[in-house]
Amino acid sequence: METINLITIKKELSVKASQQTAFEVFTKKMDLWWPRTHHVGTCPMTELALDAKPGGRWYSKHEDGSEVDIGYVLTYNPYELFTLAWQINGDFKYDPNLITEVEVQFIAEGAGSTKVIMQHKDLQKLGGTKAVESMDNGWGQIMELYKKQAES
Amino acid sequence: MSASSKAFNALGDPTRRAIFEKLRERPLAVVDIAEGLPVSRPAVSQHLKVLKEAKLINIKTYGTKNIYEVNREGILAMRNYLDKFWDQALENFKALAEKAEKEKNDHQKNK
Repeated sequence: METINLITIKKELSVKASQQTAFEVFTKKMDLWWPRTHHVGTCPMTELALDAKPGGRWYSKHEDGSEVDIGYVLTYNPYELFTLAWQINGDFKYDPNLITEVEVQFIAEGAGSTKVIMQHKDLQKLGGTKAVESMDNGWGQIMELYKKQAES
Repeated sequence: MSASSKAFNALGDPTRRAIFEKLRERPLAVVDIAEGLPVSRPAVSQHLKVLKEAKLINIKTYGTKNIYEVNREGILAMRNYLDKFWDQALENFKALAEKAEKEKNDHQKNK
């Protein structure tokens, strides 16, 4: 069904950097580009940490010394593909049983330019049963969004 | 601040996230929202105003009572939030990657 697109966020951008640079900045310097306001800890974040290897842990560090899990590395394929398991649910809590996938492709576009395609998939899983219930009454709005997306 | 970063930042605050979570369960009046939160009612009203401006919640008026509810059902609000989050994150990433590339090239030129 075409509506499946609505549960995936897809972003495409052209970066004036080599495939290698784009991949390394994304995977190894996440702390430098991750918006500081976005974390699910109880006090301010000091670092967004990612162990850039298959199965590597993805988490945030906080002022009080606590660490809060976000997920882990699913695929680490330099310099083409990087996939993360995002395990923060719709209530902004880490849930080890939840996996939504963040897939990032790095496609060389010629000298010094890389197309980066980011997809955050399976968003229907974020809300659990609540979300399924809400699908019923939210469907009208979903279709409206779909229409906008299809026509743009 | 642009409209999209405003929406994004709205949920960056723990109190506003707590309010948003409460409203995800059911629509509530301000007095019910304030209950159990470690902030004053005027502060709650201020937070609600920010969430409203970020289009994450709606206000419905019944007689003299205002009831707050999430703007779209669960997924859509969350989707909206994540969509804006990724816009901001990827914009930062692009700027940083391009800077790193430029530095690398400059370094090679100077060799």
